[in-house]
Amino acid sequence: MRSALTLIGLVVLTVLALGLDYGLGQLAFVATWAVAGLGLVIILGQSGQISLGHGAFLAVGAYLQAGWVAMGGPALLGLAVALAGGALLGALASLPGRRLGGLAFGMSTLAVALIVEEALVRFGGLTGGASGLSVPPMTLAGWAVVDPLHQCAVSAAVLALALMACRRLLNSRLGRAWRAVRDDEGAASASGVDAGHAKLLAFAVGGALGALAGALYAHWLGYLSPEQFGLHLSFELLMLVFVGGASRLMGAVWGAVVIVALPQAIALLRDTLPDGVANMAGLELVAFGLVLVAVVLWRPAGLVR
Amino acid sequence: MILQILLSGIATGCIYGLVALSFVLVYKATEAVSFMQGELLMVGAFAAVALTAAAGWPVWLAVAVAVAGMALAGALVERLALRRAMGQPHLTAVLLTFGLGLMLRGGVTTVPAATHSAHQLPLPGLMGQVEIGTLTVSLAHLGVIAATVLSCAALAAFFRFSRAGLALRACSENPRIAAMMGVSTTGMHTLAWALGAALAALAGILMAPVTFVHPGMGVVALKAFPAAVIGGMHSLPGALAGGVFIGVAEALAGRYLPEGANHVTAYVLMLVALLCFPRGLFAGRAT
Repeated sequence: MRSALTLIGLVVLTVLALGLDYGLGQLAFVATWAVAGLGLVIILGQSGQISLGHGAFLAVGAYLQAGWVAMGGPALLGLAVALAGGALLGALASLPGRRLGGLAFGMSTLAVALIVEEALVRFGGLTGGASGLSVPPMTLAGWAVVDPLHQCAVSAAVLALALMACRRLLNSRLGRAWRAVRDDEGAASASGVDAGHAKLLAFAVGGALGALAGALYAHWLGYLSPEQFGLHLSFELLMLVFVGGASRLMGAVWGAVVIVALPQAIALLRDTLPDGVANMAGLELVAFGLVLVAVVLWRPAGLVR
Repeated sequence: MILQILLSGIATGCIYGLVALSFVLVYKATEAVSFMQGELLMVGAFAAVALTAAAGWPVWLAVAVAVAGMALAGALVERLALRRAMGQPHLTAVLLTFGLGLMLRGGVTTVPAATHSAHQLPLPGLMGQVEIGTLTVSLAHLGVIAATVLSCAALAAFFRFSRAGLALRACSENPRIAAMMGVSTTGMHTLAWALGAALAALAGILMAPVTFVHPGMGVVALKAFPAAVIGGMHSLPGALAGGVFIGVAEALAGRYLPEGANHVTAYVLMLVALLCFPRGLFAGRAT
């Protein structure tokens, strides 16, 4: 209840501070990133595995949605297609690490992400290649979602559905299996939990949520290019979960608030600096790195708490 | 023709191997998965360039000072930051090193001289080409291979014959028992990071005659992960061999497979290695 009130307060504050349209647009992004964060919370926090290439799932969702809408498919069904595509890629990406667990998942998801990024550039006929691809606005039963308010409403609805679905999953047999595998894989296996299966499903669910977020992102941004989904995005999502906390689902929402607010804060900070310093290239990289390092050093056990 | 492809593949592979070596060295000793080896490589190369071009030092002195300086920087990074991530899940060190890497890359980018022009390190004797029979061989490639062999021999001798090397090996094998035998494990972590950073810097300097020195050159370190995985993640010779293997495979893929395939070769090989050879292609005794 308290977190719900804080959330409402935050929404009001954002809209007041940034103006109606811009504020709502930013909130749409917060809700979208939170959906992607939920997937990582399940992989990292619930089942205790690691994904270093989560950007690839968003990329697959975004490009599937863009392709589907371009072919004239209804956007809502496109979200389902993206969901399925993400789940499939998540399951596939987890296969090589299945027997080893831990870091091997990190390595296999990293490899899949780098391969996906290269494939997006290489198959330019389908994806627009490095020069990018524009995506039409989302239309739901003849209603075009272009207004920031409507985008925000759609994202919030998707986030709410995703949260409810995740909550149900965590209270199900599968959710218990994930936590058992996370806490002690050997004991879980000895108690009849199929650990390999549980890990595979964690990556499938995580990939599906990532792709769902990617599909929304494609519409909100209206333009896709492969470098949006590179290693940097994967690490931003990891930071999101680290900041928000991986032990609970709402962590994804809080983390998303921080991740969307961070570039704005850096831009604001930049305005206060003298011109000579503010115009230096690479300042954003330094600032982002500094925040990341500070957060990790401040709370090295961010994940477990 | 095929010999030339193989040779350039081996030379590139030596770079991958050196970076993988630095990654595995750190990973074995401290369990930290480092995402900043590429940035250490880039900073090392820039340090050598700055010392020769801006300060006017002789090249060999600049190279030695750059490598030593990076070793010091690596030790400092371990002392100030990475020590706090010890004993935490892998992700903590991953995020920490990625953040430090971003700061290094951003920091170098803020220097206008670093980004506005392409730099090359004029290593004497390594420019130009030489004809061996019908073969035209780039001296830079030969130099990279020779330098890799030499530095690996020195590293092997260090691990084999010196007291610190033995202690580092013991610490990587079993930190608890090493500590019981009087080895300072924290000191060994610092030493591992110093060696790791120095090796990465050396790789960057060796890359300099082949490619240009620029802030984005650290991406080459992404190939260190496949090399380390193929080598089994825990073996130093394996990491080097894995690097050479990937370099050669990429060179062959670039020649015989459709365009762009060589960009993903390393990662496809990594997936295959994880699937079929989870203990590494050269699973043998660990060093």
